[in-house]
Amino acid sequence: MASAKNASLEVFGPTLSRRQFVKAGGALLVGFSLVGPELLKADTAKPSVLKNSLDPTLLNSWIEVHPDNTILIRTGKNDFGQGTTFTAYRQIVADELSVPFEAITTVVQGSTDATPDGSGAFDFLGGGMPNIRKAAAYTYQALLGLASEKLGVPKDKLSVQDGVVSGGGKNVSYGDLVKNQQLKLTIPVKGELTSIMGLTIDGNPPLKPVSEYKVIGKSYKNSVIASKVAAKETWATDVRLPGMLHARVVHPKTLGSILVSAGQVDKTKFPNSQVIVKGNLVGVIAPTEWEAIQAAEQVASATKWSDWKGLPGSEKLYQHLREEADWTSAAVANGEKNKGDAGPALGSAKKKHAATYQVSYMKHAPIGPTMAVADVKADGTVHIHTHNQNPQELRGEIAMMLGTTADHVIVHAYPGPGHYGRSNGGNAGAEDEAVLLSKALGKPVRVQWMRADDMQWSTQGSAGYTEIQIALDEKGKISAYQADHYMPAMQDDRLIGAVLAGLPTQAAPNPKGDFISSTANGIQDPWVYLSVPNVTERGHGTYQVGQKASPIAVGLRDHSMRTPGQFQQHFPRELAISEAAALAGADAIQFRLDHATDERAISVLKAVREASAWDTRPSPRPGAASTGSTPIKGRGVALMFRNGSYWACVCHISVTPSTGKIVVEKSTIAVDPGIVVNPAQLKRNVEGGAVMGISHALFEEVIFDQSGITQDDWNSYPIPSMSDIPEIKVVLINNPKVGAYGGGSEAANALAAPAIAAAFHDATGKVMRKIPLKPAYVKALLET
Amino acid sequence: MLTLNVNGVRREVQAADDTPLLYVLRNDLQLIGPQFGCGLAQCGACAVLVDGKEARSCVTPVASVVGQEITTLEGLPARWAKQKGLSAELAKDTLHPVQQAWIEEQTPQCGFCQNGMMIKATELLESNPHPTIPQIKDAFTNSGPSPNLCRCGTYQAILEAVQHAATLMAKGGK
Repeated sequence: MASAKNASLEVFGPTLSRRQFVKAGGALLVGFSLVGPELLKADTAKPSVLKNSLDPTLLNSWIEVHPDNTILIRTGKNDFGQGTTFTAYRQIVADELSVPFEAITTVVQGSTDATPDGSGAFDFLGGGMPNIRKAAAYTYQALLGLASEKLGVPKDKLSVQDGVVSGGGKNVSYGDLVKNQQLKLTIPVKGELTSIMGLTIDGNPPLKPVSEYKVIGKSYKNSVIASKVAAKETWATDVRLPGMLHARVVHPKTLGSILVSAGQVDKTKFPNSQVIVKGNLVGVIAPTEWEAIQAAEQVASATKWSDWKGLPGSEKLYQHLREEADWTSAAVANGEKNKGDAGPALGSAKKKHAATYQVSYMKHAPIGPTMAVADVKADGTVHIHTHNQNPQELRGEIAMMLGTTADHVIVHAYPGPGHYGRSNGGNAGAEDEAVLLSKALGKPVRVQWMRADDMQWSTQGSAGYTEIQIALDEKGKISAYQADHYMPAMQDDRLIGAVLAGLPTQAAPNPKGDFISSTANGIQDPWVYLSVPNVTERGHGTYQVGQKASPIAVGLRDHSMRTPGQFQQHFPRELAISEAAALAGADAIQFRLDHATDERAISVLKAVREASAWDTRPSPRPGAASTGSTPIKGRGVALMFRNGSYWACVCHISVTPSTGKIVVEKSTIAVDPGIVVNPAQLKRNVEGGAVMGISHALFEEVIFDQSGITQDDWNSYPIPSMSDIPEIKVVLINNPKVGAYGGGSEAANALAAPAIAAAFHDATGKVMRKIPLKPAYVKALLET
Repeated sequence: MLTLNVNGVRREVQAADDTPLLYVLRNDLQLIGPQFGCGLAQCGACAVLVDGKEARSCVTPVASVVGQEITTLEGLPARWAKQKGLSAELAKDTLHPVQQAWIEEQTPQCGFCQNGMMIKATELLESNPHPTIPQIKDAFTNSGPSPNLCRCGTYQAILEAVQHAATLMAKGGK
């Protein structure tokens, strides 16, 4: 055992105590990293820290400074391809610590036994204050304290460059400061590890002034790209455990079916396969993947399910939402920026725009279907190897399903196919099924969903509709804006395997649920036209479609998807604003400039106007036409504020009225995220979002009948190919005076739909208030 | 027992003739570059080169490629080294210019589809060393059993990376 000598120093709120560990026999003192969290945990056992977890109150669980001057950082946020943890996080830590980017040699992310804070793969930059920044700021203060003692110079007389502290004519490197010492620094932490938001570092350590940033603002490369490209990264799909079996799940015939009888394996064909049944969960397991696939198909054909027809069908979705859905049980949400009284202005308006807008259900549609490997040990310990946006929350969910505690569950995180929010509440589909099958067999089991499983049994982004009224005054300015947004609950974190097996899991969405499981619909799209005198925005929520009619309460399970909730409110608002501009006879960008007051909103609009070579004039364009086989051009704009970032997008399109085919020719996006942390990475994120946005606007719509989703592959649920992409122009506005960095990995996907729909109006003079703008729908509209 | 020629090496595998090549590569030969995306030849995540032509390993019966030259993502560096007559020593640390360009252009987001994108790029550049933008778009959209799909929307980065790879290849790889 180590003996310890305590010392302590006061740093800005929390107490930081330094402890030197001396190995028995007075041997060499050991460094920071060599002691590691295990020993520290034994030394400072706290009842609140789960087994198989790091102690989040120990700074060393977040950042390790090594005697060789290298630095390791840990984050529960599991990068999904945004690159943030491998670029921006290293840059942020480097600047807080005054070290070069390259000094941060290791990023540990995601796995529940190796990272401290939990939470999901969203909002990585956390309004400019991600946990890792505070952890670095505390570490910096501790290192300054150590240097002050060592050099005999007061902290405020020290300076640091490239990890070397100087003062009083002397200097010492961070590596030398931590050599032969163990820093035991206790920091304040709040929150709940296995909740969706995880833990947050508290307190207010002094932060590096923006003017001193040296690493932030430069385009460092994402190191993981190199290992992925060279086939050297271990993906979740690559995990193979000794004795592991391959499984496929035979999902029910409909979203509300009950198992009548499970089919038997044809042992003459599949001698090594077996069927496991738990309630309505039917798994087929074999030693090889190909046998599992074939046996599952054979078993599926012999399995009998009850019928169920509890859905309205996608053709009647909006009729169902308007006429049948229960919008009264959940509390109505009011917009934070609501002011004045829209009623009288709308009542007396000379010019008034009133319309209804619709957004379809959309799949997250990861390019690889969900999969997981689970290994439930005889002692009850559960290991899950997966690709997940919120491993700690998954841990809690699995524990709940098994009736155990999160201590017993370890989630190992790996890269995998992006799924854009689907597992930010802890699960993507296959994880719990793998656990149940592994537990039943006492062996590691790999569950891989097939493409059809992923299309039909995963969650989706919510559909919704919005009623908007806009009054214009005699000068053509908006005197009142009123929007009522209707959307079924958008976050269902229930484990589908637990639901099918009849085991405990989270509550289904309901009016009394917490902020995750509630059916209420908050206002997610911040109002940006602040000079409008009368504003009323209301959110109306309800149960998921089919949920109440289903014997297993699933229906069309929704889950937040890139720009969740805001997408469904932003498309209606921005298209309506463009329509109001047309009604006022005003140019759509100038009209927005006339109603925005925030300097950043104004500058992002001006930037997109210039970069897109926008021709200032009202819509529709001269020569707009809704007939003929000649392509007609149009352009439209959208403005958004999200996660601290202002966005504006212009789409130039052409539409061929006779076919209804829309081609996006140019997409120009300007973004002011405050401080641009990594221009090249942000640009790539925005380009990707621009393409996904075109996909949402033109291609994507979940089609379902009364029993379930009928799409089962990429032909029935198309997304864009390379030939569908426009010229993409990204304008990054670095705005250091904001003093913080905002999000950049989502929002771009939401801008395209209202800009394209406005461009369509510009080209044709007709308005399509529903996405997607598929050729058949466009053609039908133009023929009316 | 089937004998395959994978990445220039003879490999013997025990698998039913109709087993899709993808599962043999991933589960028996530990070649994990190709990924399972759809199992329907609709996305390209599983692509490999068979005698220099892009094939979707998820629907290719393993017995059908006996005697043919299979190249996976892992085999691209050796393929390039052989084409350029590089020494084994040099080849060891060499990436294919397509891979190099993918890194320099920071092409992937999640990266799950990029195996197929790099295979498609290699196929294209071996037959057309200086493709135009329309030719690149056409290759990634129309030349395979389906378009090569990317859900993260990295097509612009892929376009730039293919052009960059063409430049690197013309210069001999550096």
